[in-house]
Amino acid sequence: MLRPGIVYRIALTSFREFLRTPEAIFWTYGFPLLMAVVLGLAFRESQPQPIQVGVERTAGGAAWVAALRANPRLAVREVAPEEAERMLSRGRVAALLRGDPPVVRLDPTRPDAELARMHIERSLAPAPDSAPRGLEVTEQTAPGSRYIDFLIPGLIGLNLLGAGMWGIGYNLVDMRSKRLLRRLVVTPMGRGEFLVALLCSRLVLVFPDAVLLTLFGHFVFGVPVVGSPLTMLALILAGAVAFSGLGLLIASRPQTTEGVSGWMNLILLPMWLLGGSFFDNGSFPAWLQPLIRALPLTQCNDAMRDVMLGGAAPWAIAGPLLYLLGFGAACLMLAVRIFRWS
Amino acid sequence: MNDALAIELRGLRKEFRRGALVTRAVDGLDLDVRRGEVFGLLGPNGAGKTTTVEICEGLQTPTAGEVLVLGRRYSVRAEALELRRRIGVSLQETRFFEKSTVREILELFRSFYPAGRSVAEAIAIVALEEKADTRSVHLSGGQLQRLAVATALVSTPELLFLDEPTTGLDPQSRRQLWEVVREFRAGGGTVLLTTHYMEEAEQLCDRVAIIDHGRRIALGTPRDLVASIEGAHVVEVVAAGLDRLGAARLAGLPAVTKVSGGDGAFALTVSLPHVAMPALLDLLQRERVELTGLKTRHTSLEDVFVNLTGRHLRDEGTT
Ligand SMILES: Nc1ncnc2c1ncn2[C@@H]1O[C@H](COP(=O)(O)OP(=O)(O)OP(=O)(O)O)[C@@H](O)[C@H]1O
Ligand SMILES: [Mg+2]
Repeated sequence: MLRPGIVYRIALTSFREFLRTPEAIFWTYGFPLLMAVVLGLAFRESQPQPIQVGVERTAGGAAWVAALRANPRLAVREVAPEEAERMLSRGRVAALLRGDPPVVRLDPTRPDAELARMHIERSLAPAPDSAPRGLEVTEQTAPGSRYIDFLIPGLIGLNLLGAGMWGIGYNLVDMRSKRLLRRLVVTPMGRGEFLVALLCSRLVLVFPDAVLLTLFGHFVFGVPVVGSPLTMLALILAGAVAFSGLGLLIASRPQTTEGVSGWMNLILLPMWLLGGSFFDNGSFPAWLQPLIRALPLTQCNDAMRDVMLGGAAPWAIAGPLLYLLGFGAACLMLAVRIFRWS
Repeated sequence: MNDALAIELRGLRKEFRRGALVTRAVDGLDLDVRRGEVFGLLGPNGAGKTTTVEICEGLQTPTAGEVLVLGRRYSVRAEALELRRRIGVSLQETRFFEKSTVREILELFRSFYPAGRSVAEAIAIVALEEKADTRSVHLSGGQLQRLAVATALVSTPELLFLDEPTTGLDPQSRRQLWEVVREFRAGGGTVLLTTHYMEEAEQLCDRVAIIDHGRRIALGTPRDLVASIEGAHVVEVVAAGLDRLGAARLAGLPAVTKVSGGDGAFALTVSLPHVAMPALLDLLQRERVELTGLKTRHTSLEDVFVNLTGRHLRDEGTT
C-alpha cells in the first residue's frame, strides 16, 4: 500500500531539510559529543567518596548490613538477588556480599576494589580489635564501570529522545503552522506514506549519531563495547520507534511551535532528570521508582548499558525491547487517531 | 448530477464554533461551476471565499449542504482519493519546505501523481526559471505565490483551485498568471478562483459570484453584472462644498440614476455622461462649489458590489 517512490521523495526532502540546517546538525551530532567530553573529563578524578557496597537481600543478610553500615567509609545498599549481579557489572557497587557465610565478589580492575575488600573484612571482624575476618573472595572483571562508561549509552538514549521530540514533534507542528500539511493532504499523497517517510528519514539520521557516540567513547575514552552491534542496533531501532511515536503524539494537535514546545518541555524535563542518562536513577526514592521504570528512556538506557557494557544477548533485553516497541506503537495509534492535518 | 458541471454546491453551510460564539462563514450557498469555465468568487475579507474553496478541495467538511465535485463526493473515501488526483490546488497562503529549492519542491509534488507535466515545464509556466535552484525561504512573496501555482500545475489537473493567486504579484507577473489561467482553460480545464481585484475578475472570469457574509448576492458574467446597473458610467466628484448641496440635488440632475458617497466625495451613476456632465458643472458653478476632483469611468464590478451592499469591496478602493 505504501508507494516507495512517494515515501522516498518525502523522506529525501525531510532528510535534505535537516542536512541543510547547520544548527540542527550541531545539536544532533556535535552537542552530545561535546557533552561526553565535558562530563567525561569532569568526572574522571573521583574524590574520596564512600565506597558503594551491595548486600544481597536474604534472611541472614540483615546482620551483615548492620555491621557494614557502622563503617563510615562504606555506603551499603541492599539489593534484590536478581539485581545483584547487574549492580556489580554496571559498576554501581564496588563489591557484592552474598550467601552465608558471605562470599565477597569484586571487580579487581576497579581502583577501589581492594579498599572495599579491606573495609568489609574489618567491619565484619567478630570483635573490634580482633584480626580481620577472612572472607572468601571471588573476582569478576566487569568492564565499563567508570562514569564515562555509564554516560555514553545514556547519551545514545538521550539523542534518540531528542530526535523524536525535535525531528518529528517540532518539525511536524512547524509544517502545520505553515499550512504545508494542508497543502500536502489535497494531493494523492497517502497520509500514512507521509508519516512513514518522516519516521524513516529520522531513523536514518539517528543511526550515525549512535555509531558516532559509540566510536568516540571507545577510541577516546576506552569505553568497552562488549555486546553485539546488531543487538545494539535493534535496541536503537526500538528506542527510535518509542520516541518517534511520542514525538508524533505531542505533534498531533498543536497549531504553533510555541504550543508544541510546551509539550516537549513537559516530556524532556522528567526524562532528563529521571531517565538515568546522566546519573544512576536507582538511588531515587522508592515511591518514584514505578514512574522511573515506566519512562521509556530508563528502559532504553538500562538495556543499552546491559548490551554495550555487559554483553547482554538479545533475549536478555527482550523485555525492554518489547516495552519500547509497545510504547511507540501505542503512541502512534493514538496520534494517528487524533492527528490534525490543518 | 449534471455532467456539464464541475462543481455543484447546494445549500452549503459552514459554521465555526468557539464556545458560545458561532461564526457563520458560509450561509446557504448555491453554486454551479460549469466544466471548461473560469469561475470567480468575489467578496470582501471574511466573506467566506476561502472556506467555500476549501470545502470544494475536500480540506474542510461542511456543516450542512451538498458538495459535488466532478460528480464525486469527498465523503466517499474512494471518490475522495480519485478527486485528489484530478484537482490542482493553490492555497491562499502556504510556505513550503524552507531549505528545499523550487525544483526540489516541485519534484516532490510531481512524485505524488501518476501522470503530469515535467518539473521544468511547471517552472516555465510560472516563469520561475531563474529561481529554479533557489531555496524557497529566499523567494519573495510573489515568487512564492507562483511556486504555489506551479505545484498545482505539476500534475495535469482537470479542475484548478486558485485562492487569491495574484495577491502580492506585480502587474507583470499578474498578467503572466492570467495567461497561465487562459491557457489552462483553452486546454479544456476548469478553474475556480477567488480574488479581490475587480479588474482581474472582469478580464479573466467567464462568470463570477459575488459573496458577502457567506451568501451569494450576485451571479453572472462580469458584463451582465455591470450592465445590471442602470447607467453604464460613473462620475466621481470631489468638492468640499458638495455636502451643502446634498445628495438629493445631485440625484435630480438629468441622466443621473443613482448617487452614493458623502463627506465631499460622491459617485454618480449616469446613463448619458454627455448629458449629465454639463448639468453637473453648471450646478457647481451656480452654487460656487470649488471642484477638487472629477473623474468619469465605466461602471465595474466594484460598483455592482457597492450598489448591492452600500459598502466598498476593498478598503483601498478600486484597482
Ligand atoms: N478555522 C476557523 N475558525 C473560526 N472562524 C473561521 C475559521 N476559518 C474562517 N473563519 C471565519 O469565517 C469567515 C470567512 O472566512 P474566509 O477565510 O472564508 O474568508 P475569505 O472570504 O477567504 O476572506 P479573505 O478575502 O480575507 O481571504 C471569517 O469571518 C473568518 O473569521
Ligand atoms: Mg480567503
